[in-house]
Amino acid sequence: MKTLLKNILIAGPLFLTASLFFACSDAPEITDSLLDGDVLFDPSLYAPEEYLVSAKFPNPSADDLDKHILIASHGYSASTFEWQEFVDWSADADYRVSSLLLDGHGRTYGDFKASKWEDWRAAIIREFELLERLGYTKISFVGSSTSGALLLELMETGYFDKHVKPKNIFFVDPIVVPTAKLQTIVDIVGPMLVYLEADQPAEEDKYWYRFRPYQTINELNEVIQKVRKGLEKGIVAPTGTFIKSFHSKFDPTASTTSTVLIYKGLRLSDGNKIEVQIMDSEIHVFTRLSLRPSVSPLERSNQQNVFAQMAAKLN
Amino acid sequence: MKKYFLFYLLFCAGFAEAQQLNVGIRLQKTHQMYWENGVSAQYSFANFKPDRLFVGFDFVTSRLGTAFNSNALKQGSYIFSGSWHFFKKRQVHLVGRLNAGYLNTDLEEDVFAELPSSAVLLAPELGLNYSPKNLPFSFNTGIGFYVNTQEESKTPGTFQPLYYHMTLYYKLFENRK
Repeated sequence: MKTLLKNILIAGPLFLTASLFFACSDAPEITDSLLDGDVLFDPSLYAPEEYLVSAKFPNPSADDLDKHILIASHGYSASTFEWQEFVDWSADADYRVSSLLLDGHGRTYGDFKASKWEDWRAAIIREFELLERLGYTKISFVGSSTSGALLLELMETGYFDKHVKPKNIFFVDPIVVPTAKLQTIVDIVGPMLVYLEADQPAEEDKYWYRFRPYQTINELNEVIQKVRKGLEKGIVAPTGTFIKSFHSKFDPTASTTSTVLIYKGLRLSDGNKIEVQIMDSEIHVFTRLSLRPSVSPLERSNQQNVFAQMAAKLN
Repeated sequence: MKKYFLFYLLFCAGFAEAQQLNVGIRLQKTHQMYWENGVSAQYSFANFKPDRLFVGFDFVTSRLGTAFNSNALKQGSYIFSGSWHFFKKRQVHLVGRLNAGYLNTDLEEDVFAELPSSAVLLAPELGLNYSPKNLPFSFNTGIGFYVNTQEESKTPGTFQPLYYHMTLYYKLFENRK
């Protein structure tokens, strides 16, 4: 009986480990219809002037410089598509939207796999500093999901101390802690899994990576842990910056607890708390409704509500 | 409900003949999340699988861990357990344990009143127990995994699955036959 027990205790975990190892392939099967492949790329790579204010107005006039610029930044594995609805919605607005593509995104599986979270952040810094150098003084940010964490990281490290202070920073479903419980153990099981395949509709395959290399999930975990620890110690927003976080009540990707942690750990420069709004929603990045299988009137209302609130702060 | 269960446990403990009663301090770390520390008690019956089967109760809280003097969320876990000690004649036992309990997170503000703040805990665990022969102490360590029993978005984000703990017990009572 004892021998049997010993055998089970030793052989069981070994069998489980071997099964997981051999069950996984080294690389996913990537077709040309996926963003992950080497045919489809984010359109901002071909025509940056249609997405980035710095590229569209390389020699801004005084009138241009007087405009309020909103830098819109997407989440992990996404692309400029995530904020396209707001760009279209703002077509006649006085402010301008600079919709950027995080580095490592919108390209190929290999580019994504090789990217670090610092690369993702680099695109935000690059556009912000280009606008700053051109002479813009009214700059705001909106960051969805992972970009929320990247903007928090910039505040945590005091990046804005030596730069133009953003007028507003909006978070939409920012991630500081994940909803998916297995995400935090990817550093252990990742080498066996190699990659995770997203459960997303085929139409979204052109705008979101379908295959997420475990290395990039580790990068995501690294930056959100850094931010979480920063929030535990306390982060102070740049002088005069207004901050508001919008979060779905039951976010399936970025736990709503993220916004609770931001609320507790982030203070405005005058010591006041940031604003938060919990949305009656169960979708992640609820401001993006395009390509959703179905959109309820409530979801449309949530989106319009947030678009209007942001626009009011940009005019 | 959890209070009634605890009273029941203590009631049984009071009337059953004890083989061993341990109380101690538990240090717990959830992988990529908080330190949560607290207290632990273990009880073994004299007349039913003595020194093999233990029932226990643990309470760990981030208030005594990561949330101490920080902005981390204050949360506490009430954990009831049953554990089986293998190789009991040796000084080091292999321990298989099943935990069940409840996690409660304090979200503090009214604006978060409707957000998920609690979770049901269910975790198998594997660990080691070291009991020096002539000392009233034992050292227990384990690694466990909280099984998903609810929809993930309906539990707090600070509830993550993989945890490890170390517990130092003082043997309040040990019946040596």
